[in-house]
Amino acid sequence: MGKQISILTRVQLCNFLKLNEFRYTKDQGKKWKMTGLAVVWLMLVAVMCFYVGMLAYGYIFIGLDRVLPMYLAAISGLIILFFTILKAESVIFQKKSYEILCSMPVSQTAIVVSRFLSMYLGNLLLSLVVMVSGMIVYGYYLRPGIHFYLFGIVGTLFLPLLPMTIATVFGALITAVSSRMKHKNMVKTILSVLLVFAILGGSSLFTKVEEEFTVEMLQNLSGIVEKLIGRIYPPAVWLGRAMVEGNTLQAVWYFGISIIGFLLMVGILSKNYQKINQRLYSTTARHAYRLNHLKRNSVLETLYKKELKRYFASSIYVTNTIIGPIMMVLLAASTLIIDLEEFGFYFPMTDRLIDLMPFALAATASIMTTTCTSISMEGKEWWIIKSLPVDAKDLFDSKILVNLTIVAPCYLISEVLLMIAFRPGVADMIWLIALPAILIIFACVFGITMNLVFPVFQWENEVTIVKQSASAMIGGLGGCLCIILFALPVLFVRQIPTDIMKGIVGILVMGITFLLYQKNKKVKLQEL
Amino acid sequence: MSVLRLTCRKKKSKTKDRGKFMLTIKHLTKHYKGSHKGVTDLNLEIAPGDIYGFIGHNGAGKTTTLKCVVGIHDFEEGEIYVNGASVREDLMQCKKSFAYIPDNPDLYEYLTGIQYLNFISDIFEVSAKDREERIRKYADAFEITSSLGDLISSYSHGMKQKLAIISALVHEPKLLILDEPFVGLDPKAALILKKEMRQICAKGGAIFFSTHVLDVAEKLCNKIAIIKDGRLIASGEMKELVRDGYSLEEMFMEVADHGKTD
Repeated sequence: MGKQISILTRVQLCNFLKLNEFRYTKDQGKKWKMTGLAVVWLMLVAVMCFYVGMLAYGYIFIGLDRVLPMYLAAISGLIILFFTILKAESVIFQKKSYEILCSMPVSQTAIVVSRFLSMYLGNLLLSLVVMVSGMIVYGYYLRPGIHFYLFGIVGTLFLPLLPMTIATVFGALITAVSSRMKHKNMVKTILSVLLVFAILGGSSLFTKVEEEFTVEMLQNLSGIVEKLIGRIYPPAVWLGRAMVEGNTLQAVWYFGISIIGFLLMVGILSKNYQKINQRLYSTTARHAYRLNHLKRNSVLETLYKKELKRYFASSIYVTNTIIGPIMMVLLAASTLIIDLEEFGFYFPMTDRLIDLMPFALAATASIMTTTCTSISMEGKEWWIIKSLPVDAKDLFDSKILVNLTIVAPCYLISEVLLMIAFRPGVADMIWLIALPAILIIFACVFGITMNLVFPVFQWENEVTIVKQSASAMIGGLGGCLCIILFALPVLFVRQIPTDIMKGIVGILVMGITFLLYQKNKKVKLQEL
Repeated sequence: MSVLRLTCRKKKSKTKDRGKFMLTIKHLTKHYKGSHKGVTDLNLEIAPGDIYGFIGHNGAGKTTTLKCVVGIHDFEEGEIYVNGASVREDLMQCKKSFAYIPDNPDLYEYLTGIQYLNFISDIFEVSAKDREERIRKYADAFEITSSLGDLISSYSHGMKQKLAIISALVHEPKLLILDEPFVGLDPKAALILKKEMRQICAKGGAIFFSTHVLDVAEKLCNKIAIIKDGRLIASGEMKELVRDGYSLEEMFMEVADHGKTD
């Protein structure tokens, strides 16, 4: 069994990390591109280490050192839970390799564990970055005993286990429930989106304290934070206490729950694995079609319809890209609910909220555009488009239109909410309407551009493209970052009136979008 | 014992009028980055009415050649003309003239069969009336009409192959480019496909297809090309290449084993 798990995990990692592609490709350009991406990842890790280090220093500086380890453990746990929940189902129930493995003398447990492990190693990296950076700063300033390092290092190794177990159980439950339904994908998508928002809602409790602050409570800020963390993610408190106080009982709790949870999950899932897979991948064919009148569509129309069907056929694609637009609506709705005066206490630019909002809306909606992975999502069917008389322009337009179709309803609702909340004058109303639209279109076109730079057609699991590909990372977050950069002159350049600045930024963004669009449509598809 | 007349290879058409041919490949060279594999200096001319078989060992360069012709791969050197239009300069015009079916047709699994056929018909701007007629005709012939309303993901390999063939025929291409078209087809479907191939040629179209089934190639093709290690080692009329009393299989084995590639 151990050998099987090891072999299967290695194969999975080779696939996810494209190790063999890097090792054996004779295309130097591809090798350089992959090296460049690895460097970008390393830089991100370095930035994250620095950020966590500074955070740890800040906690120690204001006397919250006792809760620092549990805070870092809780943050790691929640991030892992959030990201794993979006992909656990796709990784654990991967169809293609399942069919191959099923015909081999491989145990179901080995398949489940190996797939779990392939996710674990990525999450472990995140835990190490967060925990080790914090531990180094903590150790440097507070010189803790050996128990801190012992529980800290071993605890970090166990850190991804519990959130991943929870994510896998939820993923499996969603899969099991949706596999019984007629519209499997739709049910799966809705349940996944609900779950993600439940987690986001839950994690927001971190910042919510029911009672009013009193002087005594502020003196015991550590206690408040510990209480909050305990309410959200108790294992983080157990690990923190074990590390800081050397509390062995808490350590036993932490390790015990992590291991028992993991074993239970593997046991139950292995037992039902085949059953769930069969239900999930069985297709119904009615063989009852009668040819009737067929309607003719324009090329763009037919590409758009095909693209829309492709989009809704993948629950992980929908789940990952619908969250941004939904959050845009929630953001707009929050302007109706929050008390701006109270808000001004925390956020000094409240008077500029109307200037910030167009950018905030667009950035939120563009966290993950559909376009930044839509070319890669063609996958093994890419030959169809390449061999058909289809213009690059029509193809990319159809992909942009799908993105806009997804965002449009959320944009309209958000706009109505903003109009009610701000009751803006004519100029502000124009900017509130026009700027987000311009920026969202920019993000869509930018997504296509990035996917053209980093296209991947050889993949087995959609997770590889939607969550782990370079174009998803750079196209999605990059677009979002660009929008934040566009906001800076509007918010901070005081010498030019804001309305004029908004106009300049709007024209600039339209210009960039136009240039990118022109560049994209000249791409020769056969060179991709 | 020599079972072929290699003179055929040298008997190239003197005409420079590429418009006369349905497909002209001139000095095609395509190598994959960092690899020696690919196609080197390949020349071929396919005239209207030709059923041109393309044979060679695995990895000889058949699929690479076909993919260069249909615009899936770009190429470093040479020229390809489809019905007089250059693949380099006017790929869209070329694509409107041909249909291509790969060896393993990965189709859009999230579409139903009829949605896929409608999609292809829309791309080729086939009128509603024509597409209805043709889809009815071919789907009935290949016996998949009742399954057209089902998702392609529920199709067997053979059904996908049949659907890909119908999608290729629905816009009445002048040139049909097929990579191993008979793999996965049941005997009846294979027979129908052969019949359709002959009909396209009878109407002035042409077929260029790769195959490992030499019996089929011998009976179906009027011309044949053999590729080895990326180079064309024999091409021309079937009758002239294969001597009386010998089979294409015998001729292929001798050429493949002893034919010079440089």
